Amino acid sequence: MSSPPAAPPRPRPVVNAWSRPFWDAAREQKLLLQRCGDCRAWIFYPRIACPRCGSDQLGWQPASGRGTIYSFTVVRSNAPSAFAPLLPYVVAVIRLEEGVQMLSNVVDCNPDKLRCDQPVEVVFRPLDDEFTLPCFRPQAGSGSQS
Amino acid sequence: MHPRRGRSAIVGIGEVPTGRFPERTAIEGALQAAQQAIADAGLRRSDIDYVMPTGTLFSFQFGNELATARLVEELGLPHVSSNCQVFSGGSSSTNALRVASALVETGRARCVLFVHTDKLGTGVTAQGGIDLFSTAGISAEWEVPFGQHYSTVAALATTRYQHETGCTDEELSAVCVSNRKWAELNPHAFFRTPLTIAEVMQSKMLSTPLRAKQSNMLFDGAGAFVVTAAERARDLVQRPAYVLGEGGAVTHFVYSQEPDLTRFGWAAAAREAFAEAGLAPADIDVAEIYDSYPIYQLIAFEELGLCGRGEAGGLFLRGETWPGGRIPCTTDGGMLSKGHIGAGGSVSLLIEAARQLMGKAGARQVPGARFAVETATGGTYFDAQVTILGTEIP
Ligand SMILES: [Zn+2]
Repeated sequence: MSSPPAAPPRPRPVVNAWSRPFWDAAREQKLLLQRCGDCRAWIFYPRIACPRCGSDQLGWQPASGRGTIYSFTVVRSNAPSAFAPLLPYVVAVIRLEEGVQMLSNVVDCNPDKLRCDQPVEVVFRPLDDEFTLPCFRPQAGSGSQS
Repeated sequence: MHPRRGRSAIVGIGEVPTGRFPERTAIEGALQAAQQAIADAGLRRSDIDYVMPTGTLFSFQFGNELATARLVEELGLPHVSSNCQVFSGGSSSTNALRVASALVETGRARCVLFVHTDKLGTGVTAQGGIDLFSTAGISAEWEVPFGQHYSTVAALATTRYQHETGCTDEELSAVCVSNRKWAELNPHAFFRTPLTIAEVMQSKMLSTPLRAKQSNMLFDGAGAFVVTAAERARDLVQRPAYVLGEGGAVTHFVYSQEPDLTRFGWAAAAREAFAEAGLAPADIDVAEIYDSYPIYQLIAFEELGLCGRGEAGGLFLRGETWPGGRIPCTTDGGMLSKGHIGAGGSVSLLIEAARQLMGKAGARQVPGARFAVETATGGTYFDAQVTILGTEIP
């Protein structure tokens, strides 16, 4: 029996210039979202123009960091190579209070007790010196803290 | 009558078995399928004036060879005006049919040869397949860094769908059993031994609630079809598969931006297709529904109007989709039992829809099938494509 090959490094986000403020803020443990200066829509992920009205008058504003789990899954096996050492881990679609959705990981939780529509709050997990991922954990009292 | 209804048709089909064939090169599969399709249509090689390969995933170099006319030369087609790739991942078949139909309806082409081939069973390793599909169509900025891959994509839809409808793990597993019943009758399918709900529910957990036997596996395969205008089709073959209606909706690129993971764009796409065809869901004799994971078969069944919301699981559980059932579904065994061959997953289904209407489906022939619906979707289910074919024009 040969030992399994070492896992490749975790993939880093491939970043566009206009989303750089999001990742810079995440490194400072802040969740920023774009907001349209014309129609006031909250925007995620970052765009070059407002997907709702087409305006290019976009600014950045802090988000509440609170939301709910729209859906989730606990990855038990057959993960991409870079994620094999992290098993089990939780992938979830989060609906933020601002009305936008994002993919993330739910951490600091008992994965078996997560449920749809459960309230969560942002928590930051460094990936390397350049990138920090916005992850989420159950809000206090929502029933599935570890 | 809708101006596009029944103006083009599939007149020839070709296919090689799906499976692990280390000795069969990708070009060999493509050439065999293409030759079969041309012969099946009663055409000569000189009749083909447009060659439309789709994307191949196992090799970037080989894919580029198809995009740059390798098929035209290898097949020795003397009168080809265009070789042009049409590719949208898993919905390539349906999108190619739409483009081909437009070409033949307007006279821009006379006979379009569409070809798919891939080698995902023996051209890549098992882990290589997982890694390939952990990036193909998944956002490198917003999802790959969080460990998204095709099992989690399907699992996220399944979790929410079960939450909203009460669909059980048993019902999800029943989809796999139904597709296997059909695959047992298909010599081109890889998995042909009987499957039980208990076996599915005891298989390895991948990403909750999705289990190994609820996941497709990757194989080698190839298929081809020929499209021509309806008036020409009638002269060529006895039973053309007329293109009666097509509908589509593109709803996201980044999977987590999909507004409704339990519906996607199927309802709008189906409304468009049925209106164009002049048919209602109750008129459908056979449903070839895209099935990379059981959840998509359940969602599409309901959103197409073949049953009500939350009812699809029961249909599969009661055997209404099995051979001899009221609404035969995914009659070649689908990606779950015949095998997933990349962009060819839905090529198989489109060929099978035509095959059923042409009366060439052998042991799994649905008797008297007049109208068939086929669905396809690409990437992380970024689109919903619906095609309705028929042996007659309503
Ligand atoms: Zn706006």
